[in-house]
Amino acid sequence: MMSDATNKTSDKIVEKPVPRPAPESVPYWQAAREHRLALPRCEACEAFWFPPSASCPHCLSPNFKFENVSGRGKIYSFVTFHRVYHPAFEAEVPYVVALVELEEGPRLLTNILGVTADQVACDTAVEVVFDDVSDECAVPKFKVAGA
Amino acid sequence: MNISSIEPSRELSDYCAIVGAGTSRLGKVPGVSSLDLLIEAIRNALGDAGLSASDVDGVIVRGPDESYSHHQMVAERLGINASFSTTLTNGGASQILSVALAIMAIRFGLAKTIVCGFGRDTWSRTHVNEAARVRNETRPASSRPREFGPEYGYFGATAAHALGATRHMHLYGTTRDDFAEIAVAFREHALRNPDAQMKKPLSREDYHAGRLIVSPFGMFDCSLRSDAAGAVIVTRTDRAKDLRQPPVLIKGFGTHNNTRGWFADDNMVNTAARQSGEAAYRMAGLGPRDVDTAQIYDCFTYMVLAQLEDYGFCKKGEGGAFVRSGALRLGGALPCNTSGGQLSESHAEGMLQIVEGVRQMRHTYPVERQVKDASIALISGHGGNQVCHSTLILGRA
Repeated sequence: MMSDATNKTSDKIVEKPVPRPAPESVPYWQAAREHRLALPRCEACEAFWFPPSASCPHCLSPNFKFENVSGRGKIYSFVTFHRVYHPAFEAEVPYVVALVELEEGPRLLTNILGVTADQVACDTAVEVVFDDVSDECAVPKFKVAGA
Repeated sequence: MNISSIEPSRELSDYCAIVGAGTSRLGKVPGVSSLDLLIEAIRNALGDAGLSASDVDGVIVRGPDESYSHHQMVAERLGINASFSTTLTNGGASQILSVALAIMAIRFGLAKTIVCGFGRDTWSRTHVNEAARVRNETRPASSRPREFGPEYGYFGATAAHALGATRHMHLYGTTRDDFAEIAVAFREHALRNPDAQMKKPLSREDYHAGRLIVSPFGMFDCSLRSDAAGAVIVTRTDRAKDLRQPPVLIKGFGTHNNTRGWFADDNMVNTAARQSGEAAYRMAGLGPRDVDTAQIYDCFTYMVLAQLEDYGFCKKGEGGAFVRSGALRLGGALPCNTSGGQLSESHAEGMLQIVEGVRQMRHTYPVERQVKDASIALISGHGGNQVCHSTLILGRA
């Protein structure tokens, strides 16, 4: 997470934003670097949640641990970015950003790789893949299941 | 999770009235700060009411999100000390909530005459240079996400609402042609409003030819970047009788917040407008059939469609057919955003919708802008990370 992924646009190198973890999400990103998708799970009520926080939003228990999840889910909804809001994404438009609902329940924002918007739909089954953006950071992304 | 346990006070219905309403110059007003735009709107609202600043003892106002104690800076410019003074932080739901808080403060003796307002200089901020225009960001850097968004190229409110639109289209077969009707209807209203930011006609073909931003939204699904302010003056109805304008009665208000988040449950399809509206209807003793005109928070076309369903003007999932019927047009079954709304008049986070509701209730518009015989207006406010909602019901005295 120290060095940024880069994208060359015209003459200047533009850095893509890299995650700048809040203290509570450091274990999430450490797991991602090892290509594991791990979410906080409550030791009292056994619920998973996301994004990470220091107590369970279901029962307020402060006792939890990060636990690996299946990495399988389905697309709850998705959009396609056509506008370049950040110059590092200029070469990538149009790209798909989706809200994926994991089998374990929590939903997370992500990219769906290797597809255009007409190749995905709400409820399409997807599975996690990891994008090594640097030696220190891998970002969980998704692809259509079985693709 | 629902409002079955709350009982909005019928006693507050008609207890207060809006006795003055004003706006600043709207649209592109370079060289004027958001504070000075708001003062301009407040001055116009006071003039409308026949009051001076020294008659005001309460200030509930808001501006750009990074402002600290915004209300103090406004009251200082008004040259007044205030019995009751604060700023709310529910985004676009704050402005109606300001009116609601004013009523509660007045009812319990904390103030007598309160100004509620909002001002921004967003057009100027997003046009200082090309980078600012592209980034199109109005939040201060300290409040933008640092993870779980930007690394995926996910930025801004447009994408959040577009996710809701996609889900609604998936569940109910809603189409971009339905969104087009909302954009086209509001633009047609704006052309009747000489103060509106947008001056050119918009056809369905123009809508579909507009460049895509974050699909399913194109440029005409998105509200305007504006320098704009609005203000209203709230006081007790029995005190209002001596003032210059016929009072516009505040018949009800409600609020609800899906604070579990936009991504939780089905909140991006079933919005907090439902419970917020139920609360307002119950306070007013009214229902959706009683509403003659609606001023709906139109940050994006889809949010209009979703809220029309949630307010009970049609069933969930039938918003597309409802808008295609022409209901939203002046002369239609539910004339909506009759000034052009945030899509075509100017975007002041719902404040201009309150002002428009007041003006419709006074029947002072020329015939081509007036909702004929209108006696009840419903106004909505939406914001606060997409999940805070507020509702105001106004009535002709």
